[in-house]
Formats: sequence, structure tokens, C-alpha cells
Amino acid sequence: MNPTKLLSIQGLRTEFPTPDGPLAAVNGVNLEIARGDVLGIVGESGSGKTVLGLSIMGLVDQPGRVTAGRITFDGTDVTNYSEAQWQGLRGNKVAMIFQDPTTSLNPVQRIGAQMIEAIQAHRDISSDAARQIVREAMVRVGINSPDERLEAYPHQFSGGMRQRVVIATALLNAPDLIIADEPTTALDVTVQAQILRDMRRLCRDTGTALIWISHDLGVVAQIAHRVAVMYAGRIVEQGATEEMLKSPSHPYTVGLMASMPANTPRGQRLASIPGGLPQLSNLPKGCSFAPRCTHATEACEILPDLCFTSANHAVRCVSPLHERGQHATGD
Amino acid sequence: MLAFILRRIMQSVVVLFVMSLIVFSMINLVGDPVDMLVNPESLPEEIDRVRRDFGLDQPAYVQYWKFLTGALSGDLGNSFIFGRPALALMAERFPATLELATTALVIAVTVGLPLGVYAGLRPNGWGARIIMGGSVLGISVPTFWLGLMMIIVFSVILGWLPVSGRGETAVFFGIESSLFTVDGLKHIILPATNLALFKIAMVIRLTRAGTEEVMAQDYIKFARAKGLSSKRIVRAHLLPNILIPIITVLGIEFGTLIAFATVTESIFAWPGLGKLVIDAIVNLDRPIVVAYLLFVVALFLVLNLVVDIIYAVLDPRVRLQGEEG
Ligand SMILES: Nc1ncnc2c1ncn2[C@@H]1O[C@H](COP(=O)(O)OP(=O)(O)OP(=O)(O)O)[C@@H](O)[C@H]1O
Ligand code: SF4
Ligand SMILES: [Mg+2]
Repeated sequence: MNPTKLLSIQGLRTEFPTPDGPLAAVNGVNLEIARGDVLGIVGESGSGKTVLGLSIMGLVDQPGRVTAGRITFDGTDVTNYSEAQWQGLRGNKVAMIFQDPTTSLNPVQRIGAQMIEAIQAHRDISSDAARQIVREAMVRVGINSPDERLEAYPHQFSGGMRQRVVIATALLNAPDLIIADEPTTALDVTVQAQILRDMRRLCRDTGTALIWISHDLGVVAQIAHRVAVMYAGRIVEQGATEEMLKSPSHPYTVGLMASMPANTPRGQRLASIPGGLPQLSNLPKGCSFAPRCTHATEACEILPDLCFTSANHAVRCVSPLHERGQHATGD
Repeated sequence: MLAFILRRIMQSVVVLFVMSLIVFSMINLVGDPVDMLVNPESLPEEIDRVRRDFGLDQPAYVQYWKFLTGALSGDLGNSFIFGRPALALMAERFPATLELATTALVIAVTVGLPLGVYAGLRPNGWGARIIMGGSVLGISVPTFWLGLMMIIVFSVILGWLPVSGRGETAVFFGIESSLFTVDGLKHIILPATNLALFKIAMVIRLTRAGTEEVMAQDYIKFARAKGLSSKRIVRAHLLPNILIPIITVLGIEFGTLIAFATVTESIFAWPGLGKLVIDAIVNLDRPIVVAYLLFVVALFLVLNLVVDIIYAVLDPRVRLQGEEG
């Protein structure tokens, strides 16, 4: 294991029992993140992005659990942490932000109290001192007159404002890593862009590493140094953002790029990949993308490994493509 | 807030008036109270005299008018049987019922709430199954049967607790209650528990459902992501959210505890309102029955208002109708 890595995940598998047998929402994922790194994770709905994030937080819903693999955080193996140990880590070293800001805050508790408790859970500190930290965090995320805002309830805030509160809360204990699970999806486009910019700035200023989860490759491309594409619980392509955008190699990534609004001529409908995710409790034998892949051959019946095609780029496909993404749409 | 309360009070007065009309007309349809008041072998002149004395010879609308004008000055008529004001009789009995209902409510909440939270946090565990099974029992077994069983087991067989009555009372802070004496407590345990059993089951079910619903919310997940302990999450995030609907329901349930403690009061010979009313119904003591029914209506009107105010205080999202922005 590389000691300079902040987070290192090896062979992670997270399963939910179902009547049809275990469902592997995360299925053998390897990831590494260095301090200050910004990693984007993209994939369509149900590909396992959220469950991956929750696994890193030790927050997978019962009866789901991590059944294989290892999560190492800052040199410490946290895979088998007890609940009390996880509590020490969560919100302290690793924070997580969820998709819907309208439901992330307790409706009957004041904003200030919800933020202060996040500090006091990890530090023995007076409420006044905690309040001061909260005020500063609110100003940093662009909330004016924080003193007034502290006394308000969540329903008195707009969606964008609430997400800023959530982000400020995540920043309170200066975590090493923030996992942002589609934090802008539920917001207006203009607010989305602002929050994206702010997050990028905040993480750069504080040296916080960031995992940015999204189903939109276009959004991820604006913020991430590296991108991992997930499909049916597996990472199918991973690499430096620019290189991935320039030469997407997995047929699924190519399809994702074709469906980006920026790559679609005006007035034309967004392209989408025909078909849907396979049933996760009953995956095809080889490559799980095969039923939807126009390049599938017999060779695809054996699960391909994630192989490096260059120093910064790895693909899980028996015959990676090298066409430029925008030409691969076939329209 | 004040505008809201004033408007509700005005609405309540109208409701009370309409209810008094209904109650008065209904009661005139049931039996002839004079039959209960005089010896069946009395002379017809004697019967007529009694009828005149109680004003029962007058047409119904005249009787109602008398009742209404009396009611506006706080007089709901005299009991036919006791010859004393109905309100005074009820006021004498009310503390015993209030004490019984309050104790039952406290038992229901202190037992039901923790069990419900426990069952809601581990819905598939053995503990939850046992608790939920018990609550089904609590809802389906008739109160009077359980009451009798409790008397047989704890009073007759084990001899731990008295069979009936209210026991000694003591005055504390100007309140006279049997809760302040050991003898009184011994007397109240069985009837209060009996009255509470159904409500315990109800509180368990409400709490369990609320807990399961709230624990699945994003804000609980976010609270966990902040690194809060389970205890803190239950106290600061779960309870405040589930208590709002529970308090609303309990406010109204408190009314039913007071109004319908009749069965329990009869089994345990508890000298409360329930017993007074049962006797009044049997004896066709109209003023008591009318006063009691109107009292119950007023009780629910007040409880509804109080519940709405508590709701608005607890839930910052609720704004009372008519309240300024
Ligand atoms: N609590 C759970 N119980 C059972 N199955 C679950 C649970 N949470 C997630 N799953 C399953 O795991 C799979 C991955 O879900 P996940 O939420 O991680 O997808 P996602 O990539 O985040 O999708 P989205 O873009 O819709 O958020 C899905 O098939 C889902 O049904
Ligand atoms: S392995 Fe085969 S089926 Fe899978 S993406 Fe590559 S070409 Fe398509
Ligand atoms: Mg998700």
C-alpha cells in the first residue's frame, strides 16, 4: 500500500441480501485518492455510486454490509471498525453530503444547533466557541448574516441555501476527505454552477480531498482531476479527466459522453444508451455491459480486468475503443 | 396566535350551542324520568305534582329555553335524584377521574414510548416481535375482562393490592389527590394500569411506526454522517420528530380517557365521573346526563385547541390559521 495515499480501497464488495440471492451493489472496486485529490465518480442510476460512498463512511443500511475487500484511510485499515470507531471518523476525517438538501436537515431543529452538534461530537469545546466556528464556516460558503441564519429553521431557506448549510457542516471539522453524492442534482442550473465553483475553491484552499459523485460526466469534468466510471457495481474505466474525455475507451463511457448535452447539437434529442442495467443479483457471466454493447463478441463472456492502456488510464474491456468520444455517437 | 385562539373560542361556543340542542332533543325521546322519581303506586295527583315540580309538564321548547338561560349563568339544573346542582356534583367527582386518567396517560407514555422506540430501531429483532405481539394483545383483549383478571390475580390471589375504591387522599400544593398517600397509590395502580393498557399498545404502535419512518429519513443519515452517537440521534433528531404526531394523538386520547373511563371506574368502584353518569343514565337523571355530555363536548373542544397550540409550538413549520406572517 502506498503510504502517501489518503484513501485506498481494495476489492471492495458491498452486498444486500434479496430473495433472489445477494445483490452486489459494489462489486470489487479498487480506488486510491491522494490528499487534495478530486475524484469524480459517474454512472447511471443504480450503478452503485451512493452505496460506494456509504461503504467508505461505514453507513451502509442494514441488512446490507461490506462482505469483502479493504478500506484503508490515512494508513489505518478501517474495514472492521466498530460503530464507535466509525463515529470518531465520520464527520471528523471524512464527511459526506447527500443529494437532496431539502431532506438532509432536521426540520424541527435550528440550523445553528445542527451545526454545533457536528463540532461537539468530535471536540470538547464550549457552545460559544463552536458557534464561532460555525459562523466562520457559514461565511466561507457564502451565507450572509450568519447570526440570524443560525436561529432559523431549514424550511426558511431555499434549496441552494440549505445545500450551502450542509456543505458548511461538512467542512466544520476540516475533514481530509469529503464525499459529495450528487450535491447539485436537485438544484437550479445557476445555483449548481455556483456551488460547484465554491466546492472546488473550498477544497483547494483547505487541501481537502473530494469524491464527487454524479450521473453527469459534464459536471464531473468541470471539477475532477480524475474520473472513475461505474457500471453495475464495477469500475469500468478510470483515468485523468482530460485523457478520459479525449479518448474514452470503454463503450459505456463513449455512450455516456454521447449523452452529454454539450455533445448534442442544438434541437436534437439527447442520445441515450439503449437498454438498462442488468439485474445486480443475477449478473451476466462475463462483461456486465455485454447485453447493451454493440461491440460485444464471444470474448466478452469472460469478465475482463481493469487494464492500464496508458500510465493514467485503465479500462475494463476486451477491445477498448480509441475513437474520440464525440465521433463515436453514430448518429 | 391570539387571533387564532379567539376565533377558535367563538367556534367552540357555536358548537356547544348546537350540541346542547341535539342533546336536549335526544334526551326528551328517552323514557319518562317521572316514572323513576315516584313510587309506581302513587296517586295520579302525586305524579302530576312531581312532574310540575321538575318543570316536566311544560313543552320541550320551554324546558330548553329555561335550560339555556340557566346554562348562560352557569347553572345546568339540579339533579332529579340528588336535588343538587349537576355541575356541583360533577365537580366533586371530576378530580378522581382526572387523577385516574392522568395516571393512566403517564403510564401509557412511560411504558409505551421506550418500547415503541426500541421496536422501531430494531424492527426485525426478537425484542420488537415480542413487544409488537404484546401490543396486539393489549388492543384486542377487552378492558373489563383484563380488569377482572387483574383484580383476581393481584387482589384476591396475591392480596397485594386493594380490590376497589379510591383510598386515602392528601392535600399537596392545594391539590387533593390519592397520589400523595401510599394507600391512595395502592388503590390507583390497578385501575390506572387497566385504563392504560389499551393506550400503551397504541403508544407503542404510534412510536414504532414513527421511529421507522423517521430513521429512514435523509436527515438521520446526515446526522450519522456527522459522527453523532446513536443516543444523541435518538434524543436530538428522532424524538423531537416523532413526538409531534404522538402528542397530537395523545391530547385527544386524554379526552377519551376522561370521558370513557366508565368501564374501569365501574369495575374498580372508582368514585369518578363515569360512575356518576352510569347511575344517572340508569335513573334517567336528565340534568346530570345533559351536563355530562356537554362537559365532554367542551372537554374535546378545549383539548383540540390545546393540541393545536402545542403543535404550532413544537413544529416550526406550522403556522396557525389567522396568524400574522
Ligand atoms: N438499502 C438498500 N437495500 C437494498 N438495495 C439497495 C439499498 N441501497 C441500494 N441498493 C441497491 O444497490 C444498487 C445501487 O444503488 P445506488 O443507490 O448505489 O445507486 P446510484 O449509483 O447511487 O444511483 P442513483 O444515481 O440513482 O443515486 C441499486 O440496485 C439499489 O437497488
Ligand atoms: S468487454 Fe465486450 S461487451 Fe464489455 S464493453 Fe468491452 S466490448 Fe463491450
Ligand atoms: Mg445515488
